[in-house]
Amino acid sequence: MAQASEHARKRLKSLMKRLGAGDRAAFPEVYEATKVKLFGICLRILRDRSEAEDALQDVYATLLKSADRYDPERASPISWLATLARNRAIDRARKGGVRANAAPIGEADMLPDGVPLADEQLIDGERDARVHGCIETLSENQRRPIRDAFFGGRTYDEIARAENVPPGTMRSRIRRGLMRLRDCMEDGE
Amino acid sequence: MSEIHRLDDDSDMFAAEYALGLLGAEETLAARSRVARDAVFAERVEWWNARLAPLLDELGGVEPGEDLTARILAFARVEGGTPASAEIVRLRTRERRWRWTAGLTSAAAALALAFLATTRLAPPPVDPDPPVQAGAPLMASLPIGETQLRLGVTYLPGSSDLILAADGLTADGVHDHELWLVPPEGELQSLGVVAPGQRMRVTLSPDIARNIADGSQLLLTREPLGGKPAEADAGPVVASGEFAAT
Repeated sequence: MAQASEHARKRLKSLMKRLGAGDRAAFPEVYEATKVKLFGICLRILRDRSEAEDALQDVYATLLKSADRYDPERASPISWLATLARNRAIDRARKGGVRANAAPIGEADMLPDGVPLADEQLIDGERDARVHGCIETLSENQRRPIRDAFFGGRTYDEIARAENVPPGTMRSRIRRGLMRLRDCMEDGE
Repeated sequence: MSEIHRLDDDSDMFAAEYALGLLGAEETLAARSRVARDAVFAERVEWWNARLAPLLDELGGVEPGEDLTARILAFARVEGGTPASAEIVRLRTRERRWRWTAGLTSAAAALALAFLATTRLAPPPVDPDPPVQAGAPLMASLPIGETQLRLGVTYLPGSSDLILAADGLTADGVHDHELWLVPPEGELQSLGVVAPGQRMRVTLSPDIARNIADGSQLLLTREPLGGKPAEADAGPVVASGEFAAT
Protein backbone atom coordinates (compact mmCIF):
# COMPACT_ATOMS: atom_id res chain seq x y z
CA MET A 1 0.00 0.00 0.00
CA ALA A 2 2.77 2.41 0.94
CA GLN A 3 4.55 1.51 -2.26
CA ALA A 4 1.44 2.18 -4.32
CA SER A 5 1.08 5.59 -2.67
CA GLU A 6 4.72 6.39 -3.28
CA HIS A 7 4.34 5.40 -6.89
CA ALA A 8 1.23 7.57 -7.29
CA ARG A 9 3.01 10.54 -5.72
CA LYS A 10 6.00 10.20 -8.02
CA ARG A 11 3.72 9.86 -11.00
CA LEU A 12 1.79 13.00 -10.03
CA LYS A 13 5.00 14.92 -9.49
CA SER A 14 6.24 14.00 -12.94
CA LEU A 15 2.89 14.94 -14.50
CA MET A 16 2.97 18.30 -12.72
CA LYS A 17 6.45 18.96 -14.07
CA ARG A 18 5.23 18.24 -17.59
CA LEU A 19 2.25 20.51 -17.09
CA GLY A 20 4.53 23.22 -15.73
CA ALA A 21 6.66 22.94 -18.86
CA GLY A 22 3.58 23.59 -20.99
CA ASP A 23 2.65 20.00 -21.87
CA ARG A 24 -1.16 20.13 -21.67
CA ALA A 25 -1.39 16.44 -22.57
CA ALA A 26 -0.52 15.75 -18.93
CA PHE A 27 -3.68 17.52 -17.71
CA PRO A 28 -6.34 14.76 -17.96
CA GLU A 29 -4.27 12.41 -15.83
CA VAL A 30 -3.59 15.09 -13.21
CA TYR A 31 -7.31 15.76 -13.16
CA GLU A 32 -8.21 12.09 -12.75
CA ALA A 33 -5.71 11.64 -9.93
CA THR A 34 -6.83 14.67 -7.95
CA LYS A 35 -10.49 15.43 -8.75
CA VAL A 36 -12.05 13.44 -5.88
CA LYS A 37 -9.83 15.00 -3.26
CA LEU A 38 -10.13 18.54 -4.62
CA PHE A 39 -13.89 18.41 -5.18
CA GLY A 40 -14.30 17.10 -1.64
CA ILE A 41 -12.41 20.12 -0.33
CA CYS A 42 -14.43 22.60 -2.41
CA LEU A 43 -17.76 21.02 -1.54
CA ARG A 44 -17.12 20.68 2.15
CA ILE A 45 -15.88 24.24 2.49
CA LEU A 46 -18.59 25.80 0.34
CA ARG A 47 -21.46 23.42 1.24
CA ASP A 48 -23.14 24.28 -2.03
CA ARG A 49 -22.78 21.97 -4.97
CA SER A 50 -23.05 24.54 -7.72
CA GLU A 51 -20.58 26.90 -6.00
CA ALA A 52 -18.24 23.97 -5.41
CA GLU A 53 -18.42 22.99 -9.08
CA ASP A 54 -17.47 26.51 -10.14
CA ALA A 55 -14.69 26.54 -7.55
CA LEU A 56 -13.30 23.26 -8.87
CA GLN A 57 -13.26 24.65 -12.38
CA ASP A 58 -11.43 27.72 -11.03
CA VAL A 59 -8.87 25.48 -9.38
CA TYR A 60 -8.04 23.62 -12.56
CA ALA A 61 -8.09 26.80 -14.66
CA THR A 62 -5.54 28.25 -12.25
CA LEU A 63 -3.52 25.07 -12.48
CA LEU A 64 -3.49 25.27 -16.27
CA LYS A 65 -2.36 28.86 -16.11
CA SER A 66 0.21 28.55 -13.39
CA ALA A 67 1.43 24.97 -13.12
CA ASP A 68 4.93 26.36 -13.59
CA ARG A 69 4.61 27.98 -10.19
CA TYR A 70 4.55 24.61 -8.50
CA ASP A 71 7.88 23.97 -6.81
CA PRO A 72 8.45 20.28 -6.00
CA GLU A 73 11.11 21.30 -3.48
CA ARG A 74 8.54 23.01 -1.30
CA ALA A 75 5.45 20.84 -1.32
CA SER A 76 4.05 17.60 -2.63
CA PRO A 77 1.79 18.10 -5.66
CA ILE A 78 -1.32 17.02 -3.77
CA SER A 79 -0.59 19.33 -0.86
CA TRP A 80 -0.04 22.23 -3.25
CA LEU A 81 -3.24 21.44 -5.14
CA ALA A 82 -5.26 20.90 -1.97
CA THR A 83 -4.10 24.30 -0.69
CA LEU A 84 -5.07 25.86 -4.01
CA ALA A 85 -8.54 24.26 -3.74
CA ARG A 86 -8.97 25.43 -0.17
CA ASN A 87 -7.95 28.97 -1.02
CA ARG A 88 -10.20 29.11 -4.06
CA ALA A 89 -13.16 27.77 -2.12
CA ILE A 90 -12.60 30.27 0.68
CA ASP A 91 -12.20 33.17 -1.76
CA ARG A 92 -15.46 32.17 -3.37
CA ALA A 93 -17.21 31.81 -0.05
CA ARG A 94 -16.09 35.30 0.97
CA LYS A 95 -17.09 36.91 -2.28
CA GLY A 96 -20.47 35.30 -2.54
CA GLY A 97 -21.35 35.57 1.11
CA VAL A 98 -21.93 31.81 1.09
CA ARG A 99 -20.18 31.61 4.39
CA ALA A 100 -22.59 33.98 6.03
CA ASN A 101 -25.09 31.17 6.30
CA ALA A 102 -22.65 28.38 6.96
CA ALA A 103 -21.79 27.19 10.40
CA PRO A 104 -18.12 26.57 11.13
CA ILE A 105 -17.13 23.17 9.91
CA GLY A 106 -16.96 20.64 12.66
CA GLU A 107 -15.26 17.31 12.67
CA ALA A 108 -17.71 15.20 10.72
CA ASP A 109 -21.00 16.96 10.88
CA MET A 110 -21.65 17.56 7.28
CA LEU A 111 -22.36 16.00 3.95
CA PRO A 112 -23.17 12.38 3.39
CA ASP A 113 -20.11 10.26 2.90
CA GLY A 114 -18.46 10.74 -0.42
CA VAL A 115 -16.23 8.35 -2.25
CA PRO A 116 -13.71 7.05 0.27
CA LEU A 117 -10.24 8.37 -0.24
CA ALA A 118 -7.80 6.13 -1.98
CA ASP A 119 -4.57 5.82 -0.03
CA GLU A 120 -2.60 7.56 -2.69
CA GLN A 121 -4.73 10.67 -2.33
CA LEU A 122 -3.73 11.31 1.23
CA ILE A 123 -1.54 14.31 1.77
CA ASP A 124 1.12 12.56 3.70
CA GLY A 125 4.71 11.67 4.13
CA GLU A 126 5.48 11.24 7.78
CA ARG A 127 6.77 14.73 8.29
CA ASP A 128 3.82 16.42 6.62
CA ALA A 129 1.43 14.44 8.73
CA ARG A 130 2.95 15.88 11.92
CA VAL A 131 0.32 18.59 11.93
CA HIS A 132 -2.29 16.02 12.97
CA GLY A 133 -0.42 15.19 16.16
CA CYS A 134 0.81 18.73 16.75
CA ILE A 135 -2.60 20.36 16.60
CA GLU A 136 -3.71 18.02 19.35
CA THR A 137 -1.05 19.48 21.66
CA LEU A 138 -2.82 22.86 21.60
CA SER A 139 -5.36 23.86 24.17
CA GLU A 140 -8.97 23.62 23.04
CA ASN A 141 -9.34 27.40 22.95
CA GLN A 142 -6.33 27.67 20.65
CA ARG A 143 -7.20 24.70 18.47
CA ARG A 144 -10.84 25.61 17.85
CA PRO A 145 -10.25 29.06 16.31
CA ILE A 146 -7.31 27.80 14.24
CA ARG A 147 -9.54 25.06 12.82
CA ASP A 148 -12.33 27.58 12.21
CA ALA A 149 -9.93 29.71 10.19
CA PHE A 150 -8.50 26.78 8.29
CA PHE A 151 -11.73 25.00 7.41
CA GLY A 152 -14.21 27.84 7.55
CA GLY A 153 -12.11 30.69 6.18
CA ARG A 154 -12.93 32.80 9.22
CA THR A 155 -10.94 35.94 9.90
CA TYR A 156 -9.75 37.19 13.27
CA ASP A 157 -12.65 39.61 13.50
CA GLU A 158 -15.23 36.96 12.74
CA ILE A 159 -13.78 34.46 15.16
CA ALA A 160 -13.48 37.08 17.88
CA ARG A 161 -17.12 38.07 17.36
CA ALA A 162 -18.30 34.47 17.35
CA GLU A 163 -16.43 33.73 20.57
CA ASN A 164 -17.31 37.07 22.13
CA VAL A 165 -13.69 37.96 22.81
CA PRO A 166 -11.90 41.25 21.95
CA PRO A 167 -10.04 40.89 18.61
CA GLY A 168 -6.66 41.65 20.20
CA THR A 169 -7.14 38.93 22.78
CA MET A 170 -8.14 36.45 20.10
CA ARG A 171 -5.11 37.36 18.04
CA SER A 172 -2.71 36.80 20.94
CA ARG A 173 -4.36 33.50 21.74
CA ILE A 174 -4.18 32.24 18.16
CA ARG A 175 -0.60 33.45 17.76
CA ARG A 176 0.46 31.54 20.85
CA GLY A 177 -1.20 28.47 19.39
CA LEU A 178 0.47 28.97 16.02
CA MET A 179 3.90 29.35 17.59
CA ARG A 180 3.42 26.17 19.51
CA LEU A 181 2.20 24.42 16.36
CA ARG A 182 5.21 25.66 14.43
CA ASP A 183 7.70 24.52 17.05
CA CYS A 184 6.06 21.10 17.18
CA MET A 185 6.04 20.72 13.38
CA GLU A 186 9.63 21.90 13.08
CA ASP A 187 10.76 19.31 15.59
CA GLY A 188 10.25 16.76 12.87
CA GLU A 189 12.40 18.52 10.26
CA MET B 1 12.87 20.11 1.03
CA SER B 2 14.38 23.52 1.15
CA GLU B 3 16.32 24.79 4.08
CA ILE B 4 14.25 26.62 6.67
CA HIS B 5 14.71 30.36 6.72
CA ARG B 6 13.52 31.92 9.92
CA LEU B 7 11.91 35.28 10.17
CA ASP B 8 11.38 37.01 13.47
CA ASP B 9 8.36 35.59 15.31
CA ASP B 10 6.15 38.52 14.48
CA SER B 11 6.78 38.19 10.72
CA ASP B 12 6.49 34.43 10.87
CA MET B 13 3.13 34.70 12.61
CA PHE B 14 2.05 37.17 9.94
CA ALA B 15 2.99 34.55 7.31
CA ALA B 16 0.97 31.93 9.20
CA GLU B 17 -2.01 34.25 9.59
CA TYR B 18 -1.93 35.00 5.87
CA ALA B 19 -1.69 31.30 4.97
CA LEU B 20 -4.63 30.53 7.26
CA GLY B 21 -6.71 33.43 5.95
CA LEU B 22 -7.12 35.04 9.37
CA LEU B 23 -6.35 38.56 8.20
CA GLY B 24 -8.86 41.21 7.25
CA ALA B 25 -8.85 42.87 3.84
CA GLU B 26 -6.18 45.50 4.49
CA GLU B 27 -3.73 43.19 6.17
CA THR B 28 -4.29 40.57 3.47
CA LEU B 29 -3.28 43.12 0.86
CA ALA B 30 -0.22 44.06 2.88
CA ALA B 31 0.73 40.39 3.15
CA ARG B 32 0.27 39.83 -0.57
CA SER B 33 2.45 42.78 -1.33
CA ARG B 34 5.08 41.42 1.07
CA VAL B 35 4.96 38.02 -0.64
CA ALA B 36 5.80 39.82 -3.87
CA ARG B 37 8.84 41.59 -2.50
CA ASP B 38 10.19 39.43 0.31
CA ALA B 39 11.36 35.97 -0.79
CA VAL B 40 11.89 34.69 2.76
CA PHE B 41 8.39 35.74 3.75
CA ALA B 42 6.99 34.09 0.60
CA GLU B 43 8.86 30.92 1.48
CA ARG B 44 7.43 30.92 4.99
CA VAL B 45 3.90 31.29 3.62
CA GLU B 46 4.57 28.25 1.45
CA TRP B 47 5.99 26.43 4.47
CA TRP B 48 2.83 27.03 6.45
CA ASN B 49 0.63 26.06 3.51
CA ALA B 50 2.48 22.80 2.97
CA ARG B 51 2.56 21.87 6.68
CA LEU B 52 -1.12 22.68 7.27
CA ALA B 53 -2.34 21.02 4.05
CA PRO B 54 -2.51 17.49 5.54
CA LEU B 55 -5.38 18.75 7.74
CA LEU B 56 -7.40 18.78 4.53
CA ASP B 57 -7.32 14.97 4.63
CA GLU B 58 -10.06 15.30 7.24
CA LEU B 59 -12.38 16.42 4.46
CA GLY B 60 -13.34 13.26 2.64
CA GLY B 61 -13.22 13.12 -1.13
CA VAL B 62 -16.28 13.49 -3.33
CA GLU B 63 -16.49 12.35 -6.93
CA PRO B 64 -17.43 15.27 -9.19
CA GLY B 65 -20.32 14.61 -11.58
CA GLU B 66 -19.69 13.57 -15.16
CA ASP B 67 -20.99 16.88 -16.46
CA LEU B 68 -18.48 18.80 -14.41
CA THR B 69 -15.65 16.53 -15.49
CA ALA B 70 -16.65 16.97 -19.13
CA ARG B 71 -16.81 20.75 -18.62
CA ILE B 72 -13.35 20.93 -17.08
CA LEU B 73 -11.70 18.64 -19.61
CA ALA B 74 -13.30 20.60 -22.46
CA PHE B 75 -12.14 23.85 -20.90
CA ALA B 76 -8.61 22.45 -20.66
CA ARG B 77 -8.70 21.48 -24.32
CA VAL B 78 -9.85 24.93 -25.37
CA GLU B 79 -7.37 26.70 -23.12
CA GLY B 80 -4.67 24.43 -24.44
CA GLY B 81 -6.02 24.59 -28.00
CA THR B 82 -3.21 26.70 -29.30
CA PRO B 83 0.12 24.97 -28.89
CA ALA B 84 0.64 25.98 -25.31
CA SER B 85 4.38 25.92 -25.30
CA ALA B 86 4.55 28.20 -28.32
CA GLU B 87 2.26 30.68 -26.64
CA ILE B 88 4.23 30.59 -23.44
CA VAL B 89 7.48 31.11 -25.30
CA ARG B 90 5.96 34.07 -27.08
CA LEU B 91 4.80 35.63 -23.83
CA ARG B 92 8.12 35.01 -22.17
CA THR B 93 10.01 36.57 -25.05
CA ARG B 94 7.93 39.66 -24.72
CA GLU B 95 8.43 39.68 -20.98
CA ARG B 96 12.15 39.58 -21.45
CA ARG B 97 12.00 42.36 -23.98
CA TRP B 98 10.24 44.54 -21.45
CA ARG B 99 12.60 43.34 -18.78
CA TRP B 100 9.82 41.98 -16.66
CA THR B 101 10.73 39.47 -14.06
CA ALA B 102 8.28 37.27 -12.20
CA GLY B 103 5.38 39.59 -12.73
CA LEU B 104 7.15 42.58 -11.22
CA THR B 105 7.94 45.52 -13.39
CA SER B 106 11.21 47.32 -13.19
CA ALA B 107 11.11 51.06 -13.08
CA ALA B 108 12.55 51.12 -16.57
CA ALA B 109 9.80 48.90 -17.85
CA ALA B 110 7.15 51.00 -16.14
CA LEU B 111 8.55 54.07 -17.81
CA ALA B 112 8.64 52.21 -21.11
CA LEU B 113 4.99 51.31 -20.62
CA ALA B 114 4.06 54.90 -19.90
CA PHE B 115 6.12 55.97 -22.89
CA LEU B 116 4.36 53.48 -25.16
CA ALA B 117 1.05 54.60 -23.79
CA THR B 118 1.52 58.27 -24.34
CA THR B 119 3.46 58.30 -27.58
CA ARG B 120 1.95 55.32 -29.35
CA LEU B 121 5.21 54.77 -31.19
CA ALA B 122 4.76 51.05 -31.10
CA PRO B 123 1.59 49.12 -31.80
CA PRO B 124 0.14 47.31 -28.82
CA PRO B 125 1.19 43.70 -28.56
CA VAL B 126 -1.06 41.27 -30.39
CA ASP B 127 -2.98 39.13 -27.98
CA PRO B 128 -2.62 35.55 -29.19
CA ASP B 129 -5.63 34.41 -27.22
CA PRO B 130 -8.03 37.11 -26.09
CA PRO B 131 -9.35 35.74 -22.82
CA VAL B 132 -12.61 37.61 -22.58
CA GLN B 133 -15.16 39.13 -24.89
CA ALA B 134 -15.65 42.85 -24.81
CA GLY B 135 -18.21 43.72 -22.19
CA ALA B 136 -19.21 46.52 -19.89
CA PRO B 137 -16.22 48.56 -18.71
CA LEU B 138 -14.70 47.65 -15.37
CA MET B 139 -13.94 50.58 -13.14
CA ALA B 140 -12.09 51.06 -9.90
CA SER B 141 -11.79 54.12 -7.74
CA LEU B 142 -8.95 54.31 -5.23
CA PRO B 143 -9.30 56.91 -2.45
CA ILE B 144 -6.03 58.70 -1.81
CA GLY B 145 -5.23 58.90 1.90
CA GLU B 146 -7.53 61.13 3.90
CA THR B 147 -8.20 63.39 0.95
CA GLN B 148 -11.26 63.57 -1.24
CA LEU B 149 -9.13 62.67 -4.22
CA ARG B 150 -9.48 59.41 -6.05
CA LEU B 151 -7.49 57.60 -8.68
CA GLY B 152 -9.82 56.36 -11.40
CA VAL B 153 -8.98 53.19 -13.31
CA THR B 154 -11.03 52.00 -16.27
CA TYR B 155 -10.59 48.83 -18.27
CA LEU B 156 -12.64 47.57 -21.18
CA PRO B 157 -12.74 43.77 -20.98
CA GLY B 158 -11.27 42.17 -24.05
CA SER B 159 -9.09 45.19 -24.86
CA SER B 160 -5.49 45.85 -23.94
CA ASP B 161 -6.02 49.45 -22.85
CA LEU B 162 -6.27 50.71 -19.31
CA ILE B 163 -7.07 54.33 -18.54
CA LEU B 164 -5.65 55.90 -15.38
CA ALA B 165 -7.24 59.17 -14.34
CA ALA B 166 -5.16 61.06 -11.81
CA ASP B 167 -6.62 64.47 -12.58
CA GLY B 168 -6.72 65.84 -9.07
CA LEU B 169 -3.30 64.58 -8.00
CA THR B 170 -0.22 66.74 -7.88
CA ALA B 171 3.39 65.63 -7.92
CA ASP B 172 5.36 66.22 -4.71
CA GLY B 173 8.64 66.07 -6.61
CA VAL B 174 9.96 63.31 -4.36
CA HIS B 175 7.66 60.35 -4.91
CA ASP B 176 5.81 58.59 -7.67
CA HIS B 177 2.95 56.18 -7.23
CA GLU B 178 2.83 52.81 -8.91
CA LEU B 179 -0.38 50.86 -9.52
CA TRP B 180 -0.44 47.08 -9.12
CA LEU B 181 -2.90 44.39 -10.06
CA VAL B 182 -3.40 41.58 -7.53
CA PRO B 183 -3.80 38.54 -9.81
CA PRO B 184 -5.70 35.43 -8.67
CA GLU B 185 -2.40 33.64 -8.19
CA GLY B 186 1.20 34.71 -8.10
CA GLU B 187 2.98 37.96 -7.72
CA LEU B 188 1.63 41.45 -8.13
CA GLN B 189 1.70 42.79 -11.67
CA SER B 190 2.60 46.42 -12.28
CA LEU B 191 0.11 48.50 -14.22
CA GLY B 192 2.56 51.37 -14.41
CA VAL B 193 3.53 54.57 -12.69
CA VAL B 194 0.72 57.05 -12.25
CA ALA B 195 1.23 60.45 -13.86
CA PRO B 196 -0.15 63.06 -11.42
CA GLY B 197 -2.64 65.50 -12.86
CA GLN B 198 -3.09 63.54 -16.06
CA ARG B 199 -5.13 60.90 -17.73
CA MET B 200 -2.97 58.24 -19.25
CA ARG B 201 -3.52 55.19 -21.36
CA VAL B 202 -1.55 52.06 -20.50
CA THR B 203 -1.25 49.21 -22.96
CA LEU B 204 -1.44 45.95 -21.07
CA SER B 205 0.27 42.76 -22.07
CA PRO B 206 -2.10 39.79 -22.47
CA ASP B 207 -0.74 38.07 -19.38
CA ILE B 208 -1.87 41.03 -17.31
CA ALA B 209 -5.10 41.71 -19.20
CA ARG B 210 -6.29 38.14 -18.73
CA ASN B 211 -6.08 38.55 -14.97
CA ILE B 212 -8.45 41.51 -14.84
CA ALA B 213 -11.99 40.64 -13.89
CA ASP B 214 -14.90 42.00 -11.91
CA GLY B 215 -13.62 42.05 -8.35
CA SER B 216 -9.89 42.13 -9.19
CA GLN B 217 -7.99 44.07 -6.57
CA LEU B 218 -5.65 46.99 -7.13
CA LEU B 219 -2.95 48.44 -4.91
CA LEU B 220 -1.21 51.78 -5.11
CA THR B 221 2.28 51.99 -3.61
CA ARG B 222 4.46 55.00 -2.91
CA GLU B 223 7.79 54.72 -4.71
CA PRO B 224 10.82 56.82 -5.54
CA LEU B 225 10.50 58.94 -8.67
CA GLY B 226 10.25 56.68 -11.69
CA GLY B 227 8.60 53.79 -9.87
CA LYS B 228 9.84 50.83 -7.91
CA PRO B 229 13.56 50.30 -8.56
CA ALA B 230 14.22 46.83 -9.99
CA GLU B 231 16.05 45.46 -6.98
CA ALA B 232 14.18 47.32 -4.26
CA ASP B 233 11.21 46.27 -2.19
CA ALA B 234 7.91 47.81 -3.20
CA GLY B 235 7.02 50.86 -1.15
CA PRO B 236 4.13 51.15 1.31
CA VAL B 237 0.58 50.55 0.11
CA VAL B 238 -1.19 53.90 0.17
CA ALA B 239 -4.50 52.99 -1.43
CA SER B 240 -6.43 50.00 -2.62
CA GLY B 241 -9.60 49.30 -4.54
CA GLU B 242 -11.22 46.77 -6.79
CA PHE B 243 -12.68 46.62 -10.26
CA ALA B 244 -16.43 46.51 -10.53
CA ALA B 245 -18.59 46.19 -13.62
CA THR B 246 -20.43 49.39 -14.45
